[in-house]
Amino acid sequence: MAKSAEELNKALADAVVDMDEDLVADLANEVVDNGYDALNAIDQGLAKGMDEAGKLFEEEEYFVPELLMCSDAVNTGIDILKPHIHMEAAGEKHKIVVGVIEGDTHDIGKNLVKVMLSSANFDVIDAGRDVPPAVFVDTAVKEGAQIIMIAALMTTTMDKIGDTINLIKERGLEGKIKVVIGGAPISPAFAKKVGADAYSINANAAVRIAREMLNC
Amino acid sequence: MSDTMTGRERLLKALKGEPTDRPSVISACQYATYELMDAVGASWPEAHRDAELMATLSGKGGAEVIGLDAIRAPYCQTIEAEALGAKIKSGGKTHIPSIAEHPYKVDDVPEFPDDFLTRGRVPVAVKAVSLMKEKYGDQVLVMGGIGGPFSIANSLIGITPFLKAMFKTPDKIQPFLEMGYQAALTFGKAYIEAGADAIVIEDMMASLDMISPKNYRQLAQPYEKKLIADLGVPVILHICGKLDKVMLDIADTGCAGISVESAVNIPAAKAAYKEKGIRLPIIGDISPSGVLLNGTPDEIKDAVHDALARGVDIISPGCAAAPSTPLANLKAMVEGAKDA
Repeated sequence: MAKSAEELNKALADAVVDMDEDLVADLANEVVDNGYDALNAIDQGLAKGMDEAGKLFEEEEYFVPELLMCSDAVNTGIDILKPHIHMEAAGEKHKIVVGVIEGDTHDIGKNLVKVMLSSANFDVIDAGRDVPPAVFVDTAVKEGAQIIMIAALMTTTMDKIGDTINLIKERGLEGKIKVVIGGAPISPAFAKKVGADAYSINANAAVRIAREMLNC
Repeated sequence: MSDTMTGRERLLKALKGEPTDRPSVISACQYATYELMDAVGASWPEAHRDAELMATLSGKGGAEVIGLDAIRAPYCQTIEAEALGAKIKSGGKTHIPSIAEHPYKVDDVPEFPDDFLTRGRVPVAVKAVSLMKEKYGDQVLVMGGIGGPFSIANSLIGITPFLKAMFKTPDKIQPFLEMGYQAALTFGKAYIEAGADAIVIEDMMASLDMISPKNYRQLAQPYEKKLIADLGVPVILHICGKLDKVMLDIADTGCAGISVESAVNIPAAKAAYKEKGIRLPIIGDISPSGVLLNGTPDEIKDAVHDALARGVDIISPGCAAAPSTPLANLKAMVEGAKDA
């Protein structure tokens, strides 16, 4: 017997939490074959699963590798479902630029933030790793993004974050482009010192912060 | 009160849990800062690839200018990866080198090169240690820094592919862990031969910020333990971030001291160690991105006193000092220990 859309969405969420990429692919195909709403399957299935995985991460049940596996499952599902989304239903998404600061090539945290934001329905522009301050600002301006999220994983590279924020001020973009920073060496005190708009303790918190900043 | 012990005596005693004239202060991870470079006339990027400059910046800078009880080289964690084929991007004057391209893919089978000790910056760091030992060896402890096997293995294929492979194809990461162990042991032994009194293992990727306690116990801790046994000198193990659930496993590695950040609940770890009869000094945990970077010298002295009150045995920044850290703040760590 064919499953209902709700049942499939629930199964998708569970498969994401269980890190079962193959099952996610099967279920996403089932959504498509049954002609169910693909956007709904992303929102109510994949994103819900990732949200749950994020909670398990905050509870220290899941760690970074588990989140990576969950995010792979989400991406597999999105790849299958995306061509079947009716664009007019999707509406306009808020854009966010993410990247790792110059000198730092540790992109794991940035990748997690990216997948959490994407599954929360933001349009994420990935500036990559080892990103100079000017590239962050130029990318945000070009893409019309209101938020830049910068990761640093080393105490030796985090100084460049302040340069990025100063550049935003120099170009008169203060308030128009907000900066959220995070990563192992970053502290709320450091964020305050360099003038960041917010400090995000982890990938899950980044979604909450973005929603608050953009009122969505 | 003025010091009655050399830094070397003080730190060796502190590592053994014996009484000292005052608390010992080191920097388990790198401590080169812009102001320190100016003070000694040796700067990045040249100091990464020139043994004399490295020895001046680390040796003179650490022993004479800051007044640490131990001096160490090098500054970054990319030397092993570079020697094993990684492409490195210079950090210029302001930053440490970083890995531009990892040398292997998960499916590769790596082979440890016989000429590892002649590759890249390996001979530079080894030579710097011998120069520092010659000049400062009777005053301070001279330490050689290596990566932990788990962290080196990560740097060979990249963190994300590595962590995914831990789940999908665990067999494929074993050769990289073996290679990480080989590189760390070979590098460490060369430091010891060059005169190093102690080794610092920086196993930053073995943190619970990155992996689960189960992963740590299966993939990181056994290699740390084997490496420490095979090095045969006092080893300080530094791991960043959260560690509360594995502090007993860390003690089981046989390290002479564990260097931690303020993310670790030190009183709880001390209590657990006491209950089990474990005498492992805890090194830390002055926040390199907090008070050490932004605080005043008086605030840093307070942070030192607070760390000692929480059970920290040897004072150190919790991780690498940010290069823009004021020199006065590094010195204030030592002053804080003097008036403790």
